[in-house]
Amino acid sequence: MILPRKSKYYVAAFALLGTLFSLAPLVIQWANYTSPIYAFENSFVVDKFSIILKGLFILITYLTFLLSINFIESDKYYQGEYYYLLLSSLLGALIVSSSRDLLTIFIGIELASTPMFLLSGWKKGDRKSNEGAIKFFLLGVLSASLILYGFSLLYGLSGELVFSNIASYLLSASLASSPVVLLSAMLVISGIGFKISIVPFHSWAPDTYEGAPLPITAYLSVSSKATGFVALIILLTKVFAGSGSSWGVILVIISGLTMTLGNLVALQQNNPIRLLAYSSISQAGFILAPIAISGITGDYQDGIFASVTYLIIYAFMNLGAFLSVHLFSNYAGSSDFYEWGGVARKSPLAGVLTTIFFFSLAGIPPLGGWFAKFVVFRSLLGSANSIGIALGVVGAINAVIALVYYARISKVIWMDELKSVNEDKIFQFENPLKVVGVFTVLITFVSGIFPGIFSYLGEVSSIFFGN
Amino acid sequence: MELFTNGIGLSAVVFFPLISAFVITLIPKAQEQLIKRFALASSLITFVLSAILLFQFDFSSAEKLQLGNKISWIKSINANYEIGIDGISLPLLVLSTFITVLAIIYSLEHLPEPKSPKGFLALILVLETGMNGTFVALDLILFFVFFEIVLLPMYFMIGIWGDKTVRTVSGFKNQIETRLYASIKFFVFTLFGSAFMLLGFLGLYYRGNKTFSIPELIELGTSGAFTGTFATLVFAVLFLGFAVKVPMWPLHTWLPDAHTAAPTVGSVLLAAILLKLGSYGFVRIAIPILPEQAKAWAPAIAILSAIGIIYGSLACLAQTDLKRLIAFSSVGHMGFVMLGIASLTPIGINAAMIGMVAHGVITGLLFFLSGSMAHTYHTRDMGRLGGNMKLLPKTGALLGFTAMASLGLPGLAGFWGEFMALLGAYNPLDGLNTTVFRTSMVAGAIGTVLTAGYLLWMLQRVNLGEPSDEWSDKDLHDADFYELSAWIPLVILTVLIGVFPKLIFGATNDAVIAMLSKAFGG
Repeated sequence: MILPRKSKYYVAAFALLGTLFSLAPLVIQWANYTSPIYAFENSFVVDKFSIILKGLFILITYLTFLLSINFIESDKYYQGEYYYLLLSSLLGALIVSSSRDLLTIFIGIELASTPMFLLSGWKKGDRKSNEGAIKFFLLGVLSASLILYGFSLLYGLSGELVFSNIASYLLSASLASSPVVLLSAMLVISGIGFKISIVPFHSWAPDTYEGAPLPITAYLSVSSKATGFVALIILLTKVFAGSGSSWGVILVIISGLTMTLGNLVALQQNNPIRLLAYSSISQAGFILAPIAISGITGDYQDGIFASVTYLIIYAFMNLGAFLSVHLFSNYAGSSDFYEWGGVARKSPLAGVLTTIFFFSLAGIPPLGGWFAKFVVFRSLLGSANSIGIALGVVGAINAVIALVYYARISKVIWMDELKSVNEDKIFQFENPLKVVGVFTVLITFVSGIFPGIFSYLGEVSSIFFGN
Repeated sequence: MELFTNGIGLSAVVFFPLISAFVITLIPKAQEQLIKRFALASSLITFVLSAILLFQFDFSSAEKLQLGNKISWIKSINANYEIGIDGISLPLLVLSTFITVLAIIYSLEHLPEPKSPKGFLALILVLETGMNGTFVALDLILFFVFFEIVLLPMYFMIGIWGDKTVRTVSGFKNQIETRLYASIKFFVFTLFGSAFMLLGFLGLYYRGNKTFSIPELIELGTSGAFTGTFATLVFAVLFLGFAVKVPMWPLHTWLPDAHTAAPTVGSVLLAAILLKLGSYGFVRIAIPILPEQAKAWAPAIAILSAIGIIYGSLACLAQTDLKRLIAFSSVGHMGFVMLGIASLTPIGINAAMIGMVAHGVITGLLFFLSGSMAHTYHTRDMGRLGGNMKLLPKTGALLGFTAMASLGLPGLAGFWGEFMALLGAYNPLDGLNTTVFRTSMVAGAIGTVLTAGYLLWMLQRVNLGEPSDEWSDKDLHDADFYELSAWIPLVILTVLIGVFPKLIFGATNDAVIAMLSKAFGG
């Protein structure tokens, strides 16, 4: 922000380098890892779980910057502030993944989401952007207050802030499944439910996604969602583990509804961003399913493994999908994807990338998405519980429904006739975007063909659960 | 030939086409000749590799899984890269590599609109990887992945190169191009089946000591590890997954649409190989792992097969579209294959095996011929065709020959599958309801008559008679060099299998007997 206007170019470069550079300590921590390190009286922890998630958040932010460069320069946006706010949100996400007490996690969650209120309204002249940002802001404040209320109940009961102390207090006072704790869990789930846009807390998402600048939408649907999920996982397993059989059932129902509703509405969309918004709602249902079922079975380790694997694969393929939408809507100048007929022939590279991302979202082998879906089904059926199996069947049906709209994009860009207005246009595929495309597509492929790389997550989730 | 004993040869047969497809995408679009030659060469190399497997394969112990390997793949869930072939999968694997070569030869000069050989040939090769992989996979997850890999290339093949005729489809407000409707229908149907199949695989995994290995699960299954409601449910979902692919009545409705809409080569591959993935799944996975359930379900499968045979034939009689007729004939022929499988006897399953190969060869050829004719005449309407023997003597003669083979003329490949399937159904496995099976057999026998009826009627309408006037001033090309080099090998194979069925039985018989005696004792 302090740089003169002329040298705004350096801001982007500095932000990019800075994020990359911040990966270095993570690598060192990973390499020298022996056991979890606690700080600030057990309220902050560095374990493999948090290191991996931090790596994920930093990479996502890095890719979002790459997506943003041309976008931000194409208009009179405030560059310095843009990067500053995104980096603040990243800091929030990083705090969440390490936090082990009520205050730290609350600050993390809010630090991650508050900058997004501003960023989603970044297109100042655009009514939709303003509308989306206002909705997002109001519901965001509501969600913060719900979380706080839930926390205050916990604090009032136990007088403790640190998770491990709260959990052991609840256990010793045999309050773990008392109505008050359950109420608190419900409040926290509702509050975080807004962040991860699960039914019935999802209504803001399509409007906000549509109004926000595209890179911000991508970030919202990937990083913000992941942050919310991480917070939810930490809270449910570290604090509310004792009442799992109660919130588990509720989350199973929410998860099934989220998948189904997101999918059915996505079928009707002709705006690619809204389609991705509903698709990401439906995907959230899948991510939630293993956590929900682990509440019932008590096998949190497997639930965490499945959810985090899904989150990681989803993050990259979804970023890729947003890249595709960005490219084609810029090219065709239309936010109705039925207008994109035949555009893949203009740029086969972009066409192939798009096909890969969308079919990966649909879960077709050998693309990464299949393994994500697979681990979810695995943990659902592994529960050997009729609710889990029922949710698995709902998920299987949803996977088929989702194929219809994911395949539709590929159908339009490859099989429909090229619109005459698009015939002479030149396809723009800037280098930073190519980097995003190649990077995400590599991860999508590698995670689908060699899913073995996720095996270490099993170990990671056992460490996470062990401390 | 050490390379072939440790699984590398087998892996090469699976992955060489995929690597070639990737290389093709790197060749610039303008170099069409190079792309075509490269694709042809790589499909030939794959075929040669699979032919070497034939010589490496020890036929004296065809019931053993051979030439394979097992490498750790996804440790956290104990899924392995486990491959191998026995007498059941070997004929299908070779058929797959063989048909792919012919498909590529045909495509060299006969690419459907919009040409673009690069994309088309690359998709065929990716498809080949999926098909070959399914036949060699011995791990349920590996099987699932290959089983699904075939969907994407076929979806795009139908959707991009398919039939552009606009038609009204019930349930759609606007008219829609056949290819678009057919491609997504094909995809959704198959995915629906396989999504549930995956749930079934997971069920087996959790009940069966957390293994996905098919041989291990067979051991567990035959020693009675899977019983009760659980096993019934698992068999039901496996049935769903495989029966959609076969396709069995009443899950067949995607097939006529997909076949009619697909480009010629697409229909050939679909009929010759893709349908076999389903029936192969029954023989390789569903029956040996869940023998008791297979026995319980066998009467139902037999009845559905019999309905399929009759329904397919009757539907054929009602067709005016040549390609659609052949598509429905597939429903009937695969009905015979499934009837043979349902009998759970060596003779019935051997019939199914030879029936699969024969159907691949014969119906593949029929789709080649009808596709070529549709290209020449620009119509598939049998009412307008006629006198084909006079207009296109070579194509006409081949069509006559293939139709004879398809209706099960003794001495040609189609005979054995139908005849032995009926024989198997006459005398099914002990303990199965003979009334049901013999009724199915009678229905099947009626089906053979109907099959002869519609094929001969088709020949009469298309091949015989006087050409209509509309063709008199048209310049019609008979089969050219590329077409004949794709077709003649199939003709030879039809005769060879017809005269020496031992070509197939020599491989399958021991394996089938071993599989059945393991599953049902005795």
